[in-house]
Amino acid sequence: MSRLSAIRPVYWISGVLLVVAVVVPLLVPTYAKKDPHLWGFPFFYWYQLLWVFLSAILVSISYRLLRAEERRRRAEQGLGDPEKDGDQ
Amino acid sequence: MNTKVDWVQLIIVVVIFAGVTAMGFMAARWRRTGNLDTLDEWGLGGRGFGTFITWFLLGGDLYTAYTFIAVPAAMYATGAISGFFAVPYTIVAYPIVFVFMARLWSVSHRHGYVTPADFVQGRYGSKLLSLAVAVTGILALMPYIALQLVGMQAVFETMGLGGNNTLAKDLPLLIAFAVLAAYTYSSGLRAPAMIAFVKDFLIYIVILVAIFYLPHVLGGWDAIFHAAQDKMAKPNQVTGKPTGSFIPTDAGYVSYWTLGLGSAMALFMYPHSVTAVLSTKTRNVVRRNAAILPAYSLLLGLLALLGFMAIKANVNVKGLDGLANPQLAIPRLFDQEFPSWFAGIAFAAIAVGALVPAAIMSIAAANLFTRNIYRAFIKPSATPAQEAKVSKLASLLVKVGALVFVLGMDKTIALNLQLLGGIWILQTFPAIVVGLYTRWFHRYALLAGWAVAMVFGTVSAYNVVNPATKKHFGGSLANIPFTHTPAYIALTAFVINVIVVVVLTFVLRAAKVADGQDTTHPSDYTADRGDPGVADVIEPAKS
Repeated sequence: MSRLSAIRPVYWISGVLLVVAVVVPLLVPTYAKKDPHLWGFPFFYWYQLLWVFLSAILVSISYRLLRAEERRRRAEQGLGDPEKDGDQ
Repeated sequence: MNTKVDWVQLIIVVVIFAGVTAMGFMAARWRRTGNLDTLDEWGLGGRGFGTFITWFLLGGDLYTAYTFIAVPAAMYATGAISGFFAVPYTIVAYPIVFVFMARLWSVSHRHGYVTPADFVQGRYGSKLLSLAVAVTGILALMPYIALQLVGMQAVFETMGLGGNNTLAKDLPLLIAFAVLAAYTYSSGLRAPAMIAFVKDFLIYIVILVAIFYLPHVLGGWDAIFHAAQDKMAKPNQVTGKPTGSFIPTDAGYVSYWTLGLGSAMALFMYPHSVTAVLSTKTRNVVRRNAAILPAYSLLLGLLALLGFMAIKANVNVKGLDGLANPQLAIPRLFDQEFPSWFAGIAFAAIAVGALVPAAIMSIAAANLFTRNIYRAFIKPSATPAQEAKVSKLASLLVKVGALVFVLGMDKTIALNLQLLGGIWILQTFPAIVVGLYTRWFHRYALLAGWAVAMVFGTVSAYNVVNPATKKHFGGSLANIPFTHTPAYIALTAFVINVIVVVVLTFVLRAAKVADGQDTTHPSDYTADRGDPGVADVIEPAKS
């Protein structure tokens, strides 16, 4: 377990968020039903569309956590900022 | 039936098409860094795309004319399991990509890899394994490019183009394709990157208008869903089973989630996705995009629902040959419910939507041929300029191949053919993705796992017989061996693949069979732009 405990909490948190974003939208029995309706949409349809947003939010949070971690690591190793001249 | 040419639609499509063509040729001079005589330039657009351009490029690359036509067509024909799985598929794809793609970016930039097979070669030191990955990529891309043509064809047919003889019927397609081939040849990846802006913009407009306007004309969402539910519940005349599934029942759960997960894992194994990713400037561009690309997934979900609208609108899907063709559902829906000028814009969006991915796919297939077949086996001493030349020619050949594919095959199997490509491409996942984390798998074990899974997947797909037409390759779902649960063949084959790889790795390691030379270093996988050994992008010359 020594290698596992060496993994920083940031990676654990990100990992959990990403696993949730992958697994929950695939749990079909949890949403294969008609009710409650929303604006005429059966639950099955609107719930999956809702997950588009939830998944995007989870990935964004992971990204922010990891980016902070990566910057810290690069600073420690004395590497430069790869995005110094903008990003379009 | 539409045998009269709709001139308003035709003029709009031709004008937009001409504009896009001009852009395609001009793209050669966009963000110019030097000559186009290397694969990094021609095949990866100079490797300098940022988040903004990449968002359009990947969006244009992943959400294709196939998406526009085939997903709603599947919804129209058989409902949720065959169509709406595209929504969870594109939701779960991005977290998966987020995890491993940055590592592939880093190692590829440090070593100058252009294709996924390049990475496999460097990591495992096995030409055979690299060849297997390259051939699988080319095999999977061919029907996919062909599918883009099917989308275009459906549009042209709806506009009333298409005569009685083969030449007149396929002429518009040939012209569109010749033009595409010409600017891809001259501009490389910059052409689709530039055209993607137009394409995505058009598609967003069309879908948003359709989503708000059509329910208003068709009597509201409630009525649309009811019409779909009624159609799916009706027994099929041939089999006596329900036509399709409105909401999956117990029996369909596994099918639904395996289709979603299998497709998601396969999505970024496709060489054209990798091409777009490797054209980015820094390691984090792809991660940022994983967070913002879901905007397209929402669009895709709404698009799928257009298939249900076509049911409510009772569109006529008889093709010119008098047979029902669900692929025509969406073009006919637009033709029937919108004024001519707007239908014209929608058709242009689909036609241009076919060009962007077709261009990127042909570039990706050409790069695979050049790097992993030509340079690996035919001419190891090839210079960068020779590589670029071979790639340009190969991109033309790939397109001709796709054209032959499309003119000689039954169009109703378009979606399934693409799914067969998905079955194949997913079998490269162990070598590529697992290889990004560990070198534990033995190269020959990976090769054996791949071979077993390819055969299993193809045979399983062949054995799926369409009950109505009695044709093979009738679908992408088959019972998991020793059970009565249908699942996506690609994922079943993938599980078999992994089992074979793990078992054989133990055997080969125990037998001390020589493994290949790994030329990568652990630090390669986290490298970023500006680090020692990472080729820096050449800044576009300021004009």
